[in-house]
Amino acid sequence: MKWLLRMCCVLFLLPAWLQAEPVRISSKQFTESVILGEVARISAREAGVQAVHERELGGTSILWSALRHGDIDVYAEYTGTITHELLKGVAPDADIATLRAKLGPLGIGITDSLGFNNTYAIGMRADRAEQLHIRRISDLPEHPELRFGFSNEFMDRADGWPGLRRRYGLPQAQVRGLDHSLSYRAVASGAVDAIDLYSTDAEIPYYQLRTLDDDRHYFPRYEAVYLYRLSLERSAPAFVTALRQLAGRIDEDDMRRMNAQVKLQGLKDGVVAAEFLGVRADADGVGFWSRLLQRSAEHVKLVALSLGLAIVLAIPLGIFAARWQRLGQVVLGLTGILQTVPSLAMFVFMIPLFGIGTWPAVAALFFYSLLPIVRNTHAGLVGIAPELRESAAALGLPPGVRLREVELPMAMRSILAGIKTAAVINVGTATLAALIGAGGYGQPILTGIRLDDISLILEGAIPAALLALLVQGVFEGVERRLTPRGLRIEARL
Amino acid sequence: MEHVGKRYGDVPALDDVTLAFARGSITALIGSSGSGKSTVLRLLLGLEWPDQGCVKVDGRMLARGDVLALRRRVGYLTQDGGLFPHLTGLGNLALLPRHLGWNAQRILQRAEELAALTHLPPAVLGRYPAELSGGQRQRVALMRGLMLDPDALLLDEPLGALDPIVRHELQDELKTIFDRLGKTVIVVTHDLAEAAWFADRLVLLREGVVVQDGRFEDLRDRPACAFVTHFVQAQRRLPERSS
Repeated sequence: MKWLLRMCCVLFLLPAWLQAEPVRISSKQFTESVILGEVARISAREAGVQAVHERELGGTSILWSALRHGDIDVYAEYTGTITHELLKGVAPDADIATLRAKLGPLGIGITDSLGFNNTYAIGMRADRAEQLHIRRISDLPEHPELRFGFSNEFMDRADGWPGLRRRYGLPQAQVRGLDHSLSYRAVASGAVDAIDLYSTDAEIPYYQLRTLDDDRHYFPRYEAVYLYRLSLERSAPAFVTALRQLAGRIDEDDMRRMNAQVKLQGLKDGVVAAEFLGVRADADGVGFWSRLLQRSAEHVKLVALSLGLAIVLAIPLGIFAARWQRLGQVVLGLTGILQTVPSLAMFVFMIPLFGIGTWPAVAALFFYSLLPIVRNTHAGLVGIAPELRESAAALGLPPGVRLREVELPMAMRSILAGIKTAAVINVGTATLAALIGAGGYGQPILTGIRLDDISLILEGAIPAALLALLVQGVFEGVERRLTPRGLRIEARL
Repeated sequence: MEHVGKRYGDVPALDDVTLAFARGSITALIGSSGSGKSTVLRLLLGLEWPDQGCVKVDGRMLARGDVLALRRRVGYLTQDGGLFPHLTGLGNLALLPRHLGWNAQRILQRAEELAALTHLPPAVLGRYPAELSGGQRQRVALMRGLMLDPDALLLDEPLGALDPIVRHELQDELKTIFDRLGKTVIVVTHDLAEAAWFADRLVLLREGVVVQDGRFEDLRDRPACAFVTHFVQAQRRLPERSS
């Protein structure tokens, strides 16, 4: 199956490969990373190198594995993350030269520091901190009642909350995982007392937060750098030179200002990046409708491809399960287990197999579509009255004809209902596909969450809901057309 | 069938049953429910296989590879007709012939012949089973069994689900049809009167064993055991009324 999908993938992308392949820049799912992605893209343009920016591809592990597999060529990373998360057996305070020596054998290059250190910090509302006399992280153990809201990544990473708690002996028990984009609101509204933040975050002054002094030097340095595939030195040397020239050019103030321009003033990241580089921004030619059209096409493509493939496999599986009851239970069980995999995890699992973009998303959605179709095909066939099945046999019809002309038509209604369920679930789940670079309606939702922009979220959520309704309606029409008339009459009696 | 034994799990359905059906004869299998009479038909069609003994057709042992051909030489009709609800009456009739390569005209022509035989208005064939009355459904099912002009007809309680008036009407018609076609007929019923009406030869089964094999008069006047007397007496008044 994997082989087949890859084959399809190759055929599909072949025309694109015949043209000169653009450099693929990517970014994590937060504003600074996206701005740095735009800085790299515009630098490439200025250097005369064709480049695309596949933005907001999720978290560190997705980007790192995409870079290693060659699905992307460049993204902005932080030295602390490299030492703690990406490389094994490296001292936490290793310098960039050491990292370069370690990354080289992996085929990955690293620029010098771009000029700022965006380390983790712990922030509280200034008035609350003042009231409790908290200035340093080592003041926190005296206030075990404080509630913490940490980004999910911070909760889990080796250099995040677990280590911080040990270093400072923090007793707080009320610790919740939050999306980083939402945590500022949470702390500002008093829903939590302290959050993790990045020292270049634009919101620190905006929400009047105090960053607590890391007096025991727990957080490592997070110098911003670009990681890139060393093969670019051959295929796009001008771009690598341009990237290297960005080193030392962006200081903490620059970065905080750019973050604020995008996040708080609502400027476009591309415009902000171009202004910083002192060059013209791209013409902003893409209007709302053409954007919507493009996303609709992406979204429908994801749903249609995955559903189509699922139908092709799931109906035979359902027939198999109905015919060989015992093995059938195994098939139903396996597809049931697939359904219990959390959807985000499913998307991420597909990356090592299919890279990033449309195909891993199609594969993940395909797996989700199997269960409803297999189960309904099975139920439809098993539900046929034994007398009727026998009556077909007694007529002298061979088994294949019985299945095609008698059993499948009688199970049609149930099968179609399964396909409809799968399609509607797919439309919703496909919004997560944007996290692995497949676009669709999830893209504005992701950006909207990141920028805290409700209208942008709705730009994705409303069409997704409408599409789900449309799909439901279309399939009900199909169901009415394809269900044999005799069965509809029978159902009415 | 020779020395046939058949069990469903722990329940014996037939025990050492030997029966022969001559070409062109009409036989009724009678007995209470669970006596094994339907199992005889199912064995003859290869829908079940004997645990002991064997089934022979035209003197040849029935093998699994032969069943499709055999079933096409036999019309089979059950209590509920077994019509496929997703097809019209005509669709039901056409299913097998179409698979065998008959063209539409030939199918239609045969359907019209059979409609005349079963006194079914041809227009009824355009309806779906759910739109037909019980009697019409059984007529269409009988026609489906006769499409290929089979050598034999096996009927399992063909009139069991019909109300008494329709049932009486169809008893008359079936009898006429059997006489006209001259096919080998085996009809299963628990109704002695019906059995005597259709068939010269009655086979009474009890718990998987043939109790008596003979004419109605033999069962009535020379019962093989007390059970036969009991079975006949339980339905005593019916044959007098219908004959």
